[in-house]
Amino acid sequence: MPVQRFRTIEEMAAAPLVVPPGEGFERFARHCARYWRIAPRVYPRGVFRFRSLAEAQAARERVTDDSVASRAVR
Amino acid sequence: MLRVLRAFEQEGLEYVLIGAAAMGFHGLVRATEDLDIFIRATPENVERLKRAFRAAYDDDPSVDEISSADLLGDYPAVRYYPPSGDLFFDVLTRLGEVASYETVAAETKEVEGIRVRVATPSALYRLKKGTVRALDRQDAEALRRLFDLKEE
Repeated sequence: MPVQRFRTIEEMAAAPLVVPPGEGFERFARHCARYWRIAPRVYPRGVFRFRSLAEAQAARERVTDDSVASRAVR
Repeated sequence: MLRVLRAFEQEGLEYVLIGAAAMGFHGLVRATEDLDIFIRATPENVERLKRAFRAAYDDDPSVDEISSADLLGDYPAVRYYPPSGDLFFDVLTRLGEVASYETVAAETKEVEGIRVRVATPSALYRLKKGTVRALDRQDAEALRRLFDLKEE
């Protein structure tokens, strides 16, 4: 599949890419750094605790949504 | 990321990397905002985690809010947003009755001289296939295809 199309940067970031064994983590780190530059997030600071993974994921989605929304209005 | 992984090793933290970073070690690359780890649930290990975070993030005082009473008690998931602002950490001691540090199969990988305990592809597949996020199901499918894992 030489060309893939995405509607959003988030959709693009979610699509895993297969790379040669041994290069994975370096490629991953570079990919994340690029993604953070293209789509910077505004995170809270500090430590948050959750009773379950579902609770943690819901909180994370709220932070991501807020961050995306703040980017959209800029 | 490397700074933190190095600090984990230097402090002797007993952990297993899961999530997108672990997938990266196995050659499946996608961007993420966080590093997910299971840690062995002991007070000593939580102290190692705190020392590692302090070492990596210039003695960030927020680290003091991480407590073994929480992680070994009613709050098995703790999220730490370091001052660098570029990523965050999800620290888990257990995932319901399904998974913990002791039950997640792991192997040692190396990056820039740092040894990292990484969940195996099949362990990642099992962790991801059962969760509700579409992203995790997408990851599980990619792992299954790349590593020819049996559908469960």
